[in-house]
Amino acid sequence: MAAVDPFDSALDLLRRLNPKHTSEHLNSIISLAPDLTEDLLASVDQPLTVKRCKDTGREFLLCDYNRDGDSYRSPWSNKFDPPLDEAGAGGVSAGESEGAGEGAVPSERVRKMEIKANEAFDIYRELYYEGGVSSVYFWNLDDGFAGVVLLKKSSTPGGSTEGVWDSIHVFEAIERGRNTHYKLTSTVILSLSATGGSLGELDLSGNMTRQVEQDLPVDNDDSHIANVGRLVEDMELKMRNLLQEVYFGKAKDVVGDLRSVGSLSEGARDREAQRELIGSMKR
Amino acid sequence: MSHLEAVSAFVEGAPPGELSDVVADIKSLTLSEPQLVAQLAPAFEKYNEEQFATVKLPGSSQSVIISSHNSLGDGRYYDVESSSSFAFNHETQTASAVQSYVVEGAQADLVKSTLKLVGSYVKEHFANAAYGVYPVESDSKVAVVIVANKYSPNNFWNGRWRSLYIFDPASSSLEGSIKVDVHYYEDGNVRLLTDKPVTASVSSGTGSGIAKEISTTEKKYQDELNKGFVSLSEGAFKGLRRQLPVTRQKIEWDKVTGYRLGQDISGGNGKR
Repeated sequence: MAAVDPFDSALDLLRRLNPKHTSEHLNSIISLAPDLTEDLLASVDQPLTVKRCKDTGREFLLCDYNRDGDSYRSPWSNKFDPPLDEAGAGGVSAGESEGAGEGAVPSERVRKMEIKANEAFDIYRELYYEGGVSSVYFWNLDDGFAGVVLLKKSSTPGGSTEGVWDSIHVFEAIERGRNTHYKLTSTVILSLSATGGSLGELDLSGNMTRQVEQDLPVDNDDSHIANVGRLVEDMELKMRNLLQEVYFGKAKDVVGDLRSVGSLSEGARDREAQRELIGSMKR
Repeated sequence: MSHLEAVSAFVEGAPPGELSDVVADIKSLTLSEPQLVAQLAPAFEKYNEEQFATVKLPGSSQSVIISSHNSLGDGRYYDVESSSSFAFNHETQTASAVQSYVVEGAQADLVKSTLKLVGSYVKEHFANAAYGVYPVESDSKVAVVIVANKYSPNNFWNGRWRSLYIFDPASSSLEGSIKVDVHYYEDGNVRLLTDKPVTASVSSGTGSGIAKEISTTEKKYQDELNKGFVSLSEGAFKGLRRQLPVTRQKIEWDKVTGYRLGQDISGGNGKR
C-alpha cells in the first residue's frame, strides 16, 4: 500500500475536527509536522482578522495574501503596517510575479484595478452585508493577475443568537486576447451559536468551499472588475443557499434521523395501514 | 502543548463514527514518532467513555454501552440486561472475556424496572440506539445512559445523540444532560454541537416515573432544538448577509465602478 501523503492527512484531519477551532488544530498539526507549515498556511482558510489602516483610519482584513512577515498591506493606503525595511517600491520584480506575501505590491496597472475593486466591493458589502468589512488584494501573474476578495461580518453581540461570516474568494484571471479565463475558489466560514434558556448551548459552525471556472469577454480593465464582481456575487448567492440548506435543513434532518419526534411503532402502523389502503384501492 | 497532548486532543475531538479516520490521519502525521500512537490508550479510553461507545458482545446482536457509570476498572465493563461483564479494548473497540455479572444491592430493583421502561421509550423514538441503567455512587443513585448513532459516510454525514441522567432516590431529583453532535463534511466541514443541562424531579421515584420524565424532557428538547434552527436561520444568519440587496435585484456591475456608495446601483435606474 502506498504511503499516504501527510499533507492530505492534515487536510483530512482538519475536515473532520471541530471547524470552530481550525486555527488551533492547524497550529497543533504544524507542531507535529513543521515541513507542512507553508503549504498548510497557504491552503487552509481561517477566520479573518481586522486591522485599522493608520493612514486612512479605515478597517481592513488580514490574510496570507497581504502579509509580509508580521506586516500587512492596507488596501486603502497600499502601505505595510508595521512598515517594511525596504518597501516594495517598483512593484513586482521579474521571476517573483506571485509575490503576494513577499512584500511585493502589485504593478501600477494591477494596483489601479485593485483600488477600483476595493471601491466596488465596498459597495457590494454595504448592499449585501449592511455592515462588516471588505478588502480586495491583487497580485501579478506571468499571464494575467490574481486576487482575493475578503468579506467579514459579525452579528451585534448581546443577542440570544450570535454569528460570524467570513468570505474568502481567491481568483486567477488568465488573459487570452479578448477573453479572460477566470478561476474562482470560494470559501465561506460561518459560525453560529445560541445560548441560554430552554435550548441550552448550541453551536453550529463550519466552512464550505466551492470552485467555478469561466471564460468572459474583456473590453478594458473595468471589465475585469465587473466580471470578478459577477462571479463573486453569483458564487455567494449559491453558497448562501447551500449553507442555509446544510446548516438548517441537513443538520435538523440528521437530528430527526437520530431521534424520531413521533412514535416509531405508530409511524410503522400508519405506513402499513396506508399500504393496505392503497392495496385495497387497486383491487 | 506536547505532541502527545496534541494528538490526544485530536482523538477526543473525533466526530461520531470517524475515530478510525482520525487515528489514520494521526499515524500518517507522526511517522517519525511511532511511539506517540502507542501512548494514546488514555485518550481512547476517555473518548469511548465520554462518547458512550457501543460494542456487541461476542455471540450477541445487542449493543451494550461503554461509560464510566458501568466501569468495573481494569478495562472491564458490565451490562445489566444480559447480566454479563466483559473486557473492552479501547483501541479496537472490541469486547472479549465475557463473564456472568448480576447487579445486586439497594438499587437493583429500581435499576431493573427503569431499564425495562426506558427500553420501551428508546425503542419508540430511536431507530438505532443503545441504553443502560446502572447503580452508581456507592449504590446510592441510578444512572441512565442513552446513545443513538447514525453514520452515513457515503453521504458525508454522521450523527450522535447522547443522554445521561442521574436519579437520586433520596431527593427524587433527576439531573443530567442531552448532547447532540452532527458532522457534515462534503466539500467542507460543518458541525452541530449542543449541550442541554436537564434538572427535573420524579416524585414517584419509580422506574416508570423516571422513564416518563426522560421521554417528556427529550421530546421538549427536540422541539426546542427544531425551533432553535429556525431562530438561528431567521435571526443571526439573515442578519449576517442578505440574500439580495434591499432592491431585490443583483448588482449592475458595469455601473459600479463609476458610482459611489448611496447611489442606486442595485436594480436598474428607471426600472422601478
